[in-house]
Amino acid sequence: MSNTSFVRVSDLYKIYQMGNQEVRALDGVSLELQEGSFNVIMGPSGSGKSTLLYLVGGLDWPTSGQIEVDGQRIELMDENQLAQYRREKLGFIFQSFNLVSSMSAEANVAFPLRFSGVKKAKRLKRAVSLLERMGLKERIGHKPTELSGGQQQRVAVSRALVNNPSLILADEPTGNLDTTSGTIIMDLLKELREEGKTILVATHDPRMLQYATNAIFLIDGKEVTEENYKKTIQQQG
Amino acid sequence: MRFSDLISLIIDNLGRRKGRVLLTAIGVVIGTAAVVTLVSLGAGLQKSATSNLWGINDLSSIQVSPGYPKYEPGMSFNEADIKKITPAVIEQFKGMKGVKQVIIKDNIRGGSLLKYGKMEGWGNFNSVSVPDIKDLGIEAAQGVTVVEKGQVILGSQYKNNFYDPNQKPGKEPEQLPDLFGKTIDVQFIKWDNEGNQTIRRAKLEVVGILKESRSEHDWSMYINNDEMLKVNEWIAGKRIDFSKEGYNNVVVQAISPDVVVELAKQITELGFQAYTPQEAVEGINSFFAIMQIVFGGVGAIALLVAAIGIANTMTMAILERTREIGIMKAIGATNNNILAIFLGEAAGIGFLGGIGGVLLGWAICAVVNALGSSLLASGGGGGAGTQLNAIIPLWLPIFSVAFATVVGLISGLFPSLNAATMVPVDALKYE
Ligand SMILES: Nc1ncnc2c1ncn2[C@@H]1O[C@H](COP(=O)(O)OP(=O)(O)OP(=O)(O)O)[C@@H](O)[C@H]1O
Ligand SMILES: [Mg+2]
Repeated sequence: MSNTSFVRVSDLYKIYQMGNQEVRALDGVSLELQEGSFNVIMGPSGSGKSTLLYLVGGLDWPTSGQIEVDGQRIELMDENQLAQYRREKLGFIFQSFNLVSSMSAEANVAFPLRFSGVKKAKRLKRAVSLLERMGLKERIGHKPTELSGGQQQRVAVSRALVNNPSLILADEPTGNLDTTSGTIIMDLLKELREEGKTILVATHDPRMLQYATNAIFLIDGKEVTEENYKKTIQQQG
Repeated sequence: MRFSDLISLIIDNLGRRKGRVLLTAIGVVIGTAAVVTLVSLGAGLQKSATSNLWGINDLSSIQVSPGYPKYEPGMSFNEADIKKITPAVIEQFKGMKGVKQVIIKDNIRGGSLLKYGKMEGWGNFNSVSVPDIKDLGIEAAQGVTVVEKGQVILGSQYKNNFYDPNQKPGKEPEQLPDLFGKTIDVQFIKWDNEGNQTIRRAKLEVVGILKESRSEHDWSMYINNDEMLKVNEWIAGKRIDFSKEGYNNVVVQAISPDVVVELAKQITELGFQAYTPQEAVEGINSFFAIMQIVFGGVGAIALLVAAIGIANTMTMAILERTREIGIMKAIGATNNNILAIFLGEAAGIGFLGGIGGVLLGWAICAVVNALGSSLLASGGGGGAGTQLNAIIPLWLPIFSVAFATVVGLISGLFPSLNAATMVPVDALKYE
């Protein structure tokens, strides 16, 4: 089983020192994600979901522990290697979409390919075909402010896919969306998983569990079993 | 990232904040315009100062005269001690490295009286050994600069040389007409040892009037060199042997102003007196070089203030776009990419401001020049005053735009480095 692990996290700690107080955002987490799996991290607010996602994505450095993705040790990489890793292997989706507000949908989707040195014509062709797939053919030239939240998130998904990544990291992708738009995004993620991509989603949304091949429950920076998780949630009301 | 993509991204980014870019660039525009205007004014003042002081702009000429021994008390004057400029010496000068030509100047050795109508004047006759007196660096305002026998070329101030000997008090003085093309009567005068004077009459046709040069040429009259020799031999009453007497006044012309000082030194070492405006001009040049540096410095201070403006704008822009920086990092931008983008924007503001500043500076110089020449025109056209004139040296616009760009680059450096080295997750979480 460990042979096919695409992501392997061991003994991961992220500790923030706030004055004389210690915040353990991640308190010794170990995980293995299979290639082509749909992984959902559930947990209450402040449990460390985003922190875990960002560390796997190489957007931050752990206090200690190891992160291995596709055989590469992320926590040992320098900034250039991390940039290359994100450029080639990763697609990020955020709760707040994080589109560049001055750019059209098309330009936003094509943006990552600028940093990989892809020629303009090729970039735009790829962006347009992804937006078509997301049902946004008519919205190619629209700025983010001219799009609904659901449409913006589909633009963001297109952008995450433009470099054909093997790992998709999504931080509450449905958090700002209504039920229908949320479902569309979840269906899209399922489709991507079926194409062989590995998915890691952090969410509050229990509906996401229906799509998951693997669920991870976090409380106070620690992984817990589903039963313990449910118990804790109920106790907290 | 491709360079062309980088440039287009920078242009897009500047384009979406037009208002702020414009306001920031205005600081650079003013600074650059100040540099361009002040340096150009400095260059203009320098030019007019040098040309005022040395009527002729001919910096490649050396005036050579015979060398006299240093006088010491009790020393008896000995003709043999005079270092004379004989034809052999002329040949020696001609053989020196860097000499273009040697012009022998001569003048009348007796008296002369000019007459035109009722008006009389004194002659101040000169001649040169070359056919065209243009070689001295002077030009004709009317007519020619080549003078044949029976002809004369007058300096620009010739009218001041004439007067009416029968002028009655209270009567309007007679005006001398323009003598160009007219013929004047000349009396060459010599005296013998008893003081008896003999007169030799000649008629000279005025074939040229010289342009004003604010030098001794304005008061000179040029006749043909052979005619001069004849008159002088008549005055001396014998043939003149220049290999014994030497010439009084010789102009050694160098191929370029660069070698003049060195040539003058060599001639002085041979025992002759050599005078060149070069040394003085060099002194003036270095004075104006300092003035230009001071002027440029004032402009540079203005640019420095503009630089602070750019730094401020970039810092603000980077704060506002912190999230965007996080996004760019998340989608694979390297620190160098981010650095290049923000540095490029800062340099772009400097570049645009620089171009605007050069245009504004150029416009100011044009206005200054227009005002300067209209003031001059209303001043009666005497032209002897210092002309307020801005000259934009060719290197200045290029240098100014480059300098403004570098100013932008430097002021953007610190904010851009900050942007580039942000931790991605912090940038993404920034509200
Ligand atoms: N920069 C930071 N400095 C200090 N503490 C931080 C910092 N970032 C996160 N934390 C803390 O780490 C813990 C985990 O935060 P994280 O954002 O991972 O939670 P989360 O599970 O994503 O919560 P939510 O569901 O609300 O997004 C929280 O207690 C948070 O306060
Ligand atoms: Mg979170």
